[in-house]
Amino acid sequence: METKHSAWEKIRWTWQPASEREAGDSVVRNFLLHWFPAKVTRASLSWNYSFWLGTVSAILFTILTITGVVLMFLYVPSVERAYLSIKDLEYAVTFGWFIRGLHRISAHLMVAVVFLHMIRVFLTAAYRNTLAAGQNRPLNWIVGVLLLLATLLLSFTGYLLPWDQLAYWAITVGTNIASAAPVAGEPIRFLLLGGHTIDQSALIRFYVLHCFFLPLVVLLLFSYHMWRVRKDGGLACVDHLAISQKAVSTAPIRSKTYSLLGITSGSSVHVETALVAEDELTVQSSPNLTRRLLMVAMVTVAAAALLAFLVPAPLEEPANASVTPNPAKAPWYFLWLQELVTDTTFRIGGITINGALVGGVLLPALLVLWLVILPYVDSSPISTVGTWWAAERRKHSLIFLIVILAILVLTVVGTFMRGPYWNFYWPWETWPEMPRRF
Amino acid sequence: MYRKDLIWLYASGIVVLLVTGFLIWSFLEPEWSEYQTDFRDLVMEKFGPQRATQVSGGLKQIWVRELGTVDRCVTCHQGIEWIGLDNAPNPFKTHTGGILQKHPVAQFGCTPCHGGQGYATDTETAHGFVEFWDEPLLGKRLSELYLVRTRSAMLQMNCNACHRYERQTKGADFINRAKDLVQEKGCRACHTINGRGGVIGPDLTEVGGKSPEQYDYSRISGVQTAFAWHVAHFQDPKSLVPETVMPNFNFSSSDAQALSLLVLSWKKRQLPTRYVPGVQLADRPTPEEAEKERQMMTGEGAFFVRKGCFICHSISTLGIESAAKIGPDLAVAVTDVQSRFGRTLEDFLNNPTGTMSVVLSTQIQLTADERKEALDKLKIAYQKTLEQKPKK
Amino acid sequence: MWSRKPVREEGTPREDATPSATGRDAAQPASRRAFLGRLGLGAVLVGLAGQVYVLLRSLFPNLLYERPERFKIGPPGQFSEGARFLEGERVFILRERNTFHAISAVCTHLGCTVKMERLNQVKKVQAGGREFEEQFEFRCPCHGSKYYGDGANYAGPAPKPLAHYRLEMSPDDGQLVVDMSQVTDRDFRLTV
Repeated sequence: METKHSAWEKIRWTWQPASEREAGDSVVRNFLLHWFPAKVTRASLSWNYSFWLGTVSAILFTILTITGVVLMFLYVPSVERAYLSIKDLEYAVTFGWFIRGLHRISAHLMVAVVFLHMIRVFLTAAYRNTLAAGQNRPLNWIVGVLLLLATLLLSFTGYLLPWDQLAYWAITVGTNIASAAPVAGEPIRFLLLGGHTIDQSALIRFYVLHCFFLPLVVLLLFSYHMWRVRKDGGLACVDHLAISQKAVSTAPIRSKTYSLLGITSGSSVHVETALVAEDELTVQSSPNLTRRLLMVAMVTVAAAALLAFLVPAPLEEPANASVTPNPAKAPWYFLWLQELVTDTTFRIGGITINGALVGGVLLPALLVLWLVILPYVDSSPISTVGTWWAAERRKHSLIFLIVILAILVLTVVGTFMRGPYWNFYWPWETWPEMPRRF
Repeated sequence: MYRKDLIWLYASGIVVLLVTGFLIWSFLEPEWSEYQTDFRDLVMEKFGPQRATQVSGGLKQIWVRELGTVDRCVTCHQGIEWIGLDNAPNPFKTHTGGILQKHPVAQFGCTPCHGGQGYATDTETAHGFVEFWDEPLLGKRLSELYLVRTRSAMLQMNCNACHRYERQTKGADFINRAKDLVQEKGCRACHTINGRGGVIGPDLTEVGGKSPEQYDYSRISGVQTAFAWHVAHFQDPKSLVPETVMPNFNFSSSDAQALSLLVLSWKKRQLPTRYVPGVQLADRPTPEEAEKERQMMTGEGAFFVRKGCFICHSISTLGIESAAKIGPDLAVAVTDVQSRFGRTLEDFLNNPTGTMSVVLSTQIQLTADERKEALDKLKIAYQKTLEQKPKK
Repeated sequence: MWSRKPVREEGTPREDATPSATGRDAAQPASRRAFLGRLGLGAVLVGLAGQVYVLLRSLFPNLLYERPERFKIGPPGQFSEGARFLEGERVFILRERNTFHAISAVCTHLGCTVKMERLNQVKKVQAGGREFEEQFEFRCPCHGSKYYGDGANYAGPAPKPLAHYRLEMSPDDGQLVVDMSQVTDRDFRLTV
């Protein structure tokens, strides 16, 4: 006989279940939480394995969606009104500057966190399959790469919307780099801008991409990304737990699954964590996972709100096609590209190497390609999956980290050491002051 | 282990609470609300409690659609249109001079004349002395910075935004002086301005819109601004541009400043025609038509021109020719009216019928004296027709 | 009836762990902890509620981009006898010799713009204790409301008469000023 539970009880048991039964129910019968398994390994919940970076990026996306929807009521995507509507946000709308600042800071944080999340997944070799049947972690890694690109594009399309000098010229630089791609470059730029110049058609296309199309893509990819995590048996550290317990690898065996679907189909993913000592190594998702999730959400919100309060969003002069600001920079997450373009533009004898093509298109394309094939060329032993700094992966990690470091260095150079006319300035050198009208 | 989670949860809750608290607090007591309270107190003191209750609070703005002006200055400067606050301290002072008569605030806003950042709602940003705002308030602070001694001189740069094509503008003496200098010194000998002039020097028609970064500041001392460059250039062209052939006119610093302001006012602008003085939105008579009307005004039939009869009627013997000739020639009205309506002309004028009834009751109102004058003159006109008939 | 076995939270001792030495010592830190816990939870909830307030409050506009309610319409000489309809402002300016009055053209039913209809003959109206003659009336094309020339509603779904607005002469240039923020009665006339 089942006890009747009030509505409040059914909400409360997600973080404060009164029994094992309620703990299980809370996950299975809750729309938002049904993705979770009823039990998780304690290792999955640890801080210094995943740093919960994936969760943080998802929470940032939620903050961006909520603030974004509010901003959609207040911003006008027309070249005549866009700048004015942002000025109104800054001065005439109650809390306007804060909401805009929160949106912007969450966007920058999300790019950084997604990037860090990718690094984490690589360094823990969590993109590889182990012994369980039906795993396809490399595919999930590719989905992750796509999510990274979608995040960058979301940030890029949003960057244009204030229609100030910063926005206009950042997008000029960005789209011109993209147009350097052979064959497809120009048509893509034409399609993206809805023309040859950055004007009203570009603004409305970027707006629709930013507010509807790209978030939809992220939602779909994200859902699939989460689905695959469950299908693959959870985080890679779970695999490591299972493997480290067994001395000999055996054929995959039917075992208790964590997915309801497995009960009906009979052939779902099953992980050998059935052999993992459940009582010792696993805990109930509710309340352990749910409470920690709530905590991570709150900390993310608190950090974003604090930063938004302290660091206001910039707004420069209205976009002016005839005056290029000095220097004109792409958004920070593309500055490494802009710097790369500079560094790959040079003359050998009579030939000029087109930096836009080499540094702006070919190299990044190669990088993305390299990212995509990484899991497939990684042949380290499966004992390294789900652990940090495994000795056998030293070479892989080193190469990866060098690339990451190069990108970071280029970003730092582009941000802090390139001044007017893209001249090089050491950090201690002051930039010349730009002249004003009065 | 999980108890630490709770500590983090609560700590972040407190952070969010504090941030939100500070945020809400900063909006409850914005800078402008203090000014508004002070204004209400001032009104209470000077005009009594009843008028004080009429003073409303909150953000205010003047939106001039045609100029694209959004000015929130009136949030703090609530007294600009009030009569009697001439001696009040700023920001409550009544606006000076009678200029608001010709430039009502509702049609112009504030920033088209004064500069500054109309969108902003706190003092420093609204007055425009911030990064990324091109034109700060053209007032005391800039005048002191550039040692411009004439009051309102800097402001006059913006008068020229609309009054550009006027030779002299009343109340803009600093700019008028600069325009005089342009004539006297013959700038057009080398420079094209508004389509006329020479080609030795650059075209100055839109030089005010040139980006400040496009000037060469390598030989300038002091602030690097477009205004400073122009002043230095007017005072000694060769010192800034060694290869120039522009002579040194030995301008005084005041004249150099006036010319710089004039030149900086020469920008490309989209102005609705009703904001440009001297533009008549009416089709004017041709010189021939105007001359004809002038002649008719000096002749015997001047009365009929003055009252407007000539628009429909000619009075040929008095030299009045109607362009439209809608009604009959009034030279023969004396007999014509009799034959058309069976009444005397005098009777008809006093009790008109048909079209004339409408015209004489609305458009052309004649007093009894005027009716008599019309009658007399028409009788004279008729006399003349009889005299002109070929003697049988 | 299955037993409600409490779910073990990591880090908390099991129920059968060694009890503390004195019950009272355990109770005090526990109640303080509970108090702090409730305070912390309160901070979380109030903080989040505050953020929700911030998001919602921003949607209530402080400044409007709309026509001003008081505006000049030109010198009295420009208005001929009878009515002139100001399209943008949706108001009729009526002149009778040297008196002016302004009637709103916004139907009081659902806000359509009424049309003025000139009558072929002068109509005598007796309504609400008044008697007057009129040359024109107002009709609404949306749902058929009818108003007398003085704005009083007499047919159709309109619940109230058309509003009369205050007219003034501007002291600086003598133009007529319509003040749509001040509704007056139907007998209001501005004499020029």
